[in-house]
Amino acid sequence: MLVYTVRRIIGAIPVLILASILTFVMIDVSGDPLAEVRMAQPPPSPEVLQQAEERLYLDRSMPERYWLWVTGIGGNGDIGLLQGEFGPSTQGPQYDIGSNIAERLWTTLRLIGAAMVFALGLAIISGVISALRQYSKLDYTLTFVGFLALAMPTFWFAGIMQAAGVKFNQLVGEQVFATIGDGRFRAQGEPLWDQFLNAFAHMALPTIVLMLISFASWSRYQRTSMLEVMNSDYVRLARAKGLRNHTVIRRHALRTALIPLTTVVAIGIAGIIDGAILTEVVFQWRGLGDFFITAVDNNDSYALMGWLLLSGVVVILANLIADLLYAVLDPRIRYE
Amino acid sequence: MFKRRKSLALAAAATSAVLVASGCSGGGGGEDEGGSKEVTWVINSLPGAWQATSLAGGSVYVIQMLSGILPYTGQWQPDATYEYNMDVLAEEPTLVNEDPDEGPFEWSITLADDAVWSDGEPMTGEDLRVTWMLGTNPEEGYCAGCDPRASTSNDKVESVEVDGKTATFQLKEGLADPEWMGLFDAHSQSGGFYPAHLAEENGWDVDNPDELGEFYAWLHAERPEWSGGPFQIVDGDLENEVVKERNPNWWGEEAPLDRITMPYNTDEGTFVNAFVNGEIDGANPADYSEDVILQLEDVANAEVTVAEGATWEHIDINLNNEQLADVELRRAIFTAIDRDDIANRNFGAGYPDYELKNNHVFGGDSPYYVDHFEGESQGTGDIDEATSILEDAGYELDGDTLTLDGEEIGPFRLRSTDSTVRNTSVQLIQSQLAEIGITANIEMTDDLGGMLSEKEYDIVQFGWSGSPYFTGNANQFWHSESGSNFGGYSNDEVDELAEKAINASDLDSAAEFTNEAMEIIVPEAYVLPIMAEPNYFFANSDRLVNVHDNLQSSYRATYNIGEWDIAG
Amino acid sequence: MSENATPGSARRDPAKKVKDSADRTQLQTIMIRFLRHRPAMISLIVLALIALFAFVGPFFWMWDHTVYREIPSNQPPGGVHPLGTSAAGHDVLGQLMRGAQQTLKVAFTVSLLSTIVGSMWGATAGYYGGRVDAFMMRVVDIFLIVPLLVAAAAIAGNTGAGASWYAIALIIAIFSWATIARVVRGVVLSLREQEFVEAARASGASAPWIIIRHLLPNAAGPIIVAATLLVAIAILAEAGMSFLGLGIQLPDISLGQMIGSARTAVSTRPWLFYPPGVLLVLICLTINFIGDGLRDALDPRQTRVRR
Repeated sequence: MLVYTVRRIIGAIPVLILASILTFVMIDVSGDPLAEVRMAQPPPSPEVLQQAEERLYLDRSMPERYWLWVTGIGGNGDIGLLQGEFGPSTQGPQYDIGSNIAERLWTTLRLIGAAMVFALGLAIISGVISALRQYSKLDYTLTFVGFLALAMPTFWFAGIMQAAGVKFNQLVGEQVFATIGDGRFRAQGEPLWDQFLNAFAHMALPTIVLMLISFASWSRYQRTSMLEVMNSDYVRLARAKGLRNHTVIRRHALRTALIPLTTVVAIGIAGIIDGAILTEVVFQWRGLGDFFITAVDNNDSYALMGWLLLSGVVVILANLIADLLYAVLDPRIRYE
Repeated sequence: MFKRRKSLALAAAATSAVLVASGCSGGGGGEDEGGSKEVTWVINSLPGAWQATSLAGGSVYVIQMLSGILPYTGQWQPDATYEYNMDVLAEEPTLVNEDPDEGPFEWSITLADDAVWSDGEPMTGEDLRVTWMLGTNPEEGYCAGCDPRASTSNDKVESVEVDGKTATFQLKEGLADPEWMGLFDAHSQSGGFYPAHLAEENGWDVDNPDELGEFYAWLHAERPEWSGGPFQIVDGDLENEVVKERNPNWWGEEAPLDRITMPYNTDEGTFVNAFVNGEIDGANPADYSEDVILQLEDVANAEVTVAEGATWEHIDINLNNEQLADVELRRAIFTAIDRDDIANRNFGAGYPDYELKNNHVFGGDSPYYVDHFEGESQGTGDIDEATSILEDAGYELDGDTLTLDGEEIGPFRLRSTDSTVRNTSVQLIQSQLAEIGITANIEMTDDLGGMLSEKEYDIVQFGWSGSPYFTGNANQFWHSESGSNFGGYSNDEVDELAEKAINASDLDSAAEFTNEAMEIIVPEAYVLPIMAEPNYFFANSDRLVNVHDNLQSSYRATYNIGEWDIAG
Repeated sequence: MSENATPGSARRDPAKKVKDSADRTQLQTIMIRFLRHRPAMISLIVLALIALFAFVGPFFWMWDHTVYREIPSNQPPGGVHPLGTSAAGHDVLGQLMRGAQQTLKVAFTVSLLSTIVGSMWGATAGYYGGRVDAFMMRVVDIFLIVPLLVAAAAIAGNTGAGASWYAIALIIAIFSWATIARVVRGVVLSLREQEFVEAARASGASAPWIIIRHLLPNAAGPIIVAATLLVAIAILAEAGMSFLGLGIQLPDISLGQMIGSARTAVSTRPWLFYPPGVLLVLICLTINFIGDGLRDALDPRQTRVRR
């Protein structure tokens, strides 16, 4: 299994390199990073513009710049992945891409982590219920709710949730939910309970929004695989042997039915990252999603490359973990 | 829409500011928590840096973030009058010599005796000198690696003499600067002036260009612990918000508020909910948004004002297109365009008092305002007039297609960026031009700067931002050698007037030259101004006192942050 | 899915009424199962009506999606403009038809393109296995890593005419075929060891023939389901891109773009906010139900469970 893991990780390197080249080229052709600066009013002097071009290595060709981004050889010491530098940002010399990503990673992890845990829990419960009560009213209701969640654009749903949160606050006459920001500077130095309330107020709505997207598809998968397992011979056999229904479900069926879900969840990480971009915009969180949008807006190649590297590694790792979990959970599968 | 692509145009405001109070105030219950006076005020985008001199930091959002922190020598007021900051100044700055023929153009500024930084160090003429050097083009040799966004005024200065609280400025030979009083005011490149003694404290010698460059980088990269205004920053970052509390060493009248939180919010779609929910007390958004305005007007405790802002929309023609080189065709095109229709459909609902822009540089309230479009058919949408202009010039309609000597006129590329206002506008222009037989194909772009400088358009709509300081405008827009004169207009007389305006010794004569240049430009049908985009402002009228918009200033409503108060 | 249509049943005269369910061809069984899936059938009818509205409607409606000087600003629904007008002077009904049309065009193009490319790619990789498989699946990984929005930003900024519907469709397709390829490869991996493939190989059939004639038809179930769901995914992707200003650009219009620009108009001009939103949710909802019905119909094991 170790050999397999190592082989997979080594195999991922060329994938990352090719993906980074593809992205680099796409960003590069997508426009002039200094276009906005050139349009400024009054206009900056030509010397300043030239200096900015040199700072961003725009005076070099695209392949040279890619090489520079990877190795940092011939750069000013602020670039070169192999030297731990992410490169200069179009958002100014004071904007450090590496530390920004690190800081925002924590913000996004909080959001994604909470959303995934809740989504997974709810998906398993509702999937199992749906499967056990197939074609019941409850099953239809859960199915419909799931499909509705799958059918709504994230930003649209987020807007509705914000309005609903405000209505709820007005009803109870207290500010239970906040609609913007993560409130990081709000409850500093206050009692722990207040800090918790503050964090809850700011996290609740975006977490619900992000959660619902994954919940919908996961619960469908859980329902399907649960149905399959319940129909399999060994569950029938267990039943035939006279084991209690409850025990069969918990000890045998559910465990097996969870296996496909691990894969789906791992692969779904990419989708959650996309969802987080929109959620962070609507709720004004300064996480990696917002980082990405700002970078796109500013034609910030090196920032985007840093983001891509991180999300690429996350996606690859998630897939690897899914495969490994598969082997752990399903004794029939072996990697050598 | 979400994309905001105008942050770098450090917009002050158009000279006219008709403050239209259309808000409904009163009602509801404002609460005051525990005696502490706190306000949450939205900044409409992320500040790019901690100071505004650099390319990355040059936005109104940085300026607003620094409100109450950065000391400045003066500022334009909401009523378009200029006011010196007499907290900071000992006396109004004096012009020593205003005639460049009699020696160098020269003035002096003296800071108030009791003016101190938040660490107790006195403000001196040295602060002004160092701020000037930090804002010069690196070619001048004062500051290595600095990237000031608009160094023109700083680069005119030859030398600065410091004597205690006084700094005396001399311009280079033969130069004059009609905007001399503005070098360290709220509208300047830096938005004020910096504490020079902090360079020394950090071990940098300000007269060594490399070390001054390090000071420059430090100023832009570090959250200012220092302050020269009624407040100081106690917490925050460049991504989420800043928190300000009173500056204990402020020597002026004590600010009424205890604490101001300024969250950065890029999405106007969130304003109404956050306001109703009590999370924010108000904002001065950068973009006009009809629905947000209308919704806020229905909220009982919201005071909303809408007025003409700094950015004005205009239609430009590319003279490099052979067909469009004919002035009669251009006149006909501009005549067919109905400016009032465009303005009304864009702004009529939220701002029914809009006015068309008849002067490229001065707003209707400016003392220098002259109506350059009086009696002019351009922009009226008069199709008959447009058709007769074309007929007189020998153009013929072949079916629905306009031709000259049997050759089809157009189709032209009608371009702009993808914003609601511009979309509406170009679609209307398209249908208006169709009525005189000209086909215009709409092509939107994301990269306005690139498109303009590559001259990849025939007709384009975009915006310039105006400012109470106008003397460089004619030069930037119409001088044949200007990098921003995208359509390739060239006229020796206009060139000369533009140069004179930038080098005039006072604002009055600069305005005269600018108006003369416009008088020549208008009949040439090169640029058709439409109107200034309105800006809105909203605030919690139950809680806030003494808060109102200032469209003359980049600070907007925060221009008098030291006087903000809570009701009751 | 492992059971294969026998040559005998395929040759049966379709006009002849079949009473005995054991005699039904597989296709007929699936059809009947699908027809009995009530939510799916209702959804299919609703979707067909929406498509009719989007594609045929414009021929019978006087206004299209562009600005007209004759159309007054900001009229609430009623009279000549049943769904009202925008500030600029659009007829909202005309916009809605065009928007739905463009959205459906994007979604189905994405689904079609990704399914063709993805299933060929996945089947080829799965059939050959080994190094070919490893290489082809690494390529798939690349497309799973590069974010859709980067491509969208790149292309939206560069196409001279702004992003047209086919450009948007192409961008989304480029980044969604990879998921289909994965699904198909998985199915083909398990199919290729089965006897009928062995038999075909032994009788000298070429690899492309085996893939197209034997493997893909047997993987049809999962492919059809994935392709259906991709339609809904593409619609939402386009909506998200529009919200960020990277989708279809004006003067052309899509439902996502209408929702995005009317996001602040909920209470002030609800006629701009609700119609495109409801229509978009309806389209996605019906497609999901259809996908569900297809899944049930194609996978006999699921429908058998009755307790």
